[in-house]
Amino acid sequence: MTATTTAPAARPRALTFGNMWLSAALIAVIVLYPMFFGKAMNFGVSTLIFAGLAMSWNILGGWAGQTSLGHAALLGIGAYTMTLLAIPERVPAIFGGPVAPWWGALIAMVLAALIAAVWGGLTFRLRGSYFTLSSIAVALVIRLIAINSEWTGGSEGLFMPDLPRFLGLDLFDRKAEYILAAAFVVLTLGITHAIRRSRLGYALQAVREDEDGARALGIDPTRMKVIAFMISAALTALGGALYGIYLQAFEPHTLLELPISVQIALMAIIGGRGTIQGPAIGAILLAVFGEIFRNVFANANLLIYGVLILVVTLFAPNGVMGLFQRGGRKLGTAR
Amino acid sequence: MDPAAATALIQTIAQGLLTGGLYALIGTGLSLIFGVMRVINFAHGDFLAIGMFITLALFRAFNLDPYFSVLVAAPVGFALGYVIQRVILARLGDRLAEGSMLATLGLGLIISNTLLLTFGAQPQNINVAYATKTVQLGGVQLSIPLIVAGIGTLAAIGGLNFLLYRTELGRAIRATAQNPLGAELQGVKTATIQAIVFGLGVAFAAIAGVLLMPLLYAFPTVGENYTTKAFIVTVLGGLGNLPGAVVGGLVLGTIESLGAFYISNNYRDAYGLVAFLLVLLLRPEGLFGRTVKRV
Repeated sequence: MTATTTAPAARPRALTFGNMWLSAALIAVIVLYPMFFGKAMNFGVSTLIFAGLAMSWNILGGWAGQTSLGHAALLGIGAYTMTLLAIPERVPAIFGGPVAPWWGALIAMVLAALIAAVWGGLTFRLRGSYFTLSSIAVALVIRLIAINSEWTGGSEGLFMPDLPRFLGLDLFDRKAEYILAAAFVVLTLGITHAIRRSRLGYALQAVREDEDGARALGIDPTRMKVIAFMISAALTALGGALYGIYLQAFEPHTLLELPISVQIALMAIIGGRGTIQGPAIGAILLAVFGEIFRNVFANANLLIYGVLILVVTLFAPNGVMGLFQRGGRKLGTAR
Repeated sequence: MDPAAATALIQTIAQGLLTGGLYALIGTGLSLIFGVMRVINFAHGDFLAIGMFITLALFRAFNLDPYFSVLVAAPVGFALGYVIQRVILARLGDRLAEGSMLATLGLGLIISNTLLLTFGAQPQNINVAYATKTVQLGGVQLSIPLIVAGIGTLAAIGGLNFLLYRTELGRAIRATAQNPLGAELQGVKTATIQAIVFGLGVAFAAIAGVLLMPLLYAFPTVGENYTTKAFIVTVLGGLGNLPGAVVGGLVLGTIESLGAFYISNNYRDAYGLVAFLLVLLLRPEGLFGRTVKRV
């Protein structure tokens, strides 16, 4: 085995050029999409939601380097919390009546962040694969609770009630959902940009590259990872609330299963974890491939995910963005 | 405790131990792979699904008794694992730790979706006369397929122990696990050994699939649940600890069985998960492992 003798691998790094421009291009695509593909709004909305989810995952998975395979639980917390608070018969008595979905989403974000604080506080003491394994276990426990509890609608799930208008927008109108999903993507994009140049961002990257080294510099690795997880969880819950509205009715299978967690993580990884726009690019790429192959493989459309992740792992370890970066370096910008 | 309650308790524990034996078999494969290569195989349950579907296909095509399928499933599993290690995992080099997780995740998706395309999503089972038969042992009823599975597990794990501790290949495997570079310097072809180990691990999963087939319905994503079970078993026993995996399997089976009987069957899968999380948090080295360096 040569593993022990060679130098440590180059880790994914943020692009050294064109970051802002790539974000601007991404936003331009989002703005132009409805003009050209107005008929395919379903595809647009779900792709944008997953792009935002992948970028939210990336704050923990990319910047802090903690591979979570339990993000479906946070997605579910967002959708379930928002919906349960909006259904008159199910909303807990202390709220004294149904809660508007935007307040519901906000409560879901706070709840998800608190859960992430406890979850991360306990499991980030473990390193490497242990966190990944524990994230699967936590998510599966949350899934079992949702399936077996009466108040979550059990395995039959929940139907969305009539929702009040949001800033004059009908929330069940695909155009309105598109605008909200786009806002979600822009928000996560903005937060990722902000993190990159912040103390937190540098600390996270230091922890990712060398935990002991970071500790020696006075950074508390567990605390940094927990903060990243809380931000990631809150944004994922927001995406979950949006996804719930998009679906109008959902059950544990559509929101809480392991493949959903895997899908979110793979989008970010295929696009390029630890980069700013990579996860969104990965999400768009996989959504397009998924759509193309849905007709060929029917419900076996995750096959293409499997093939892509294998190809990326073997030949483009830093994802699509890594390929761009390598292309950039070949033009003469040495590392 | 009145006699009826005592019998119920013994029945529950006996059933748990037999199911646990199967978990031990699955977990042993995963633990062996981790122990030698530090690779967590996320496709482990999908290899089990392959074993199930080989059994199903052979039964459909030749009316072959499910247990004889092991003669096909085990070598196929071994060959598959050998090739995967050689062609995919060996290429990851120094990115093995992170890369293997993603690669095996991808492999799992490829396997489950290929099974879906080939066999359809409908759960399918095998109708053999003994599938629902039970034997009576002092008031305790035990299903025959579970007993056969228990014996099969004992045989497989016994065979692995013989291989590891009584043969030259076993010495090479243990040497590779302890110190790959040192083993290489002593003339051990560690690349071949690692491929053999991955093959063995996959073969174990496939054998477990064969043993499960008369008991369960096969469907393409059946493996997902067993990947989780295998993780639980290995963490309970300590990652890479083979005797630990056996005990971990038995513990998991018993916890599930007792929980399902005395608390609620709906949460059957949750008891193991909670035990898993507790062990992960309190004793990451496993219930029976030596103390490892804590973070």
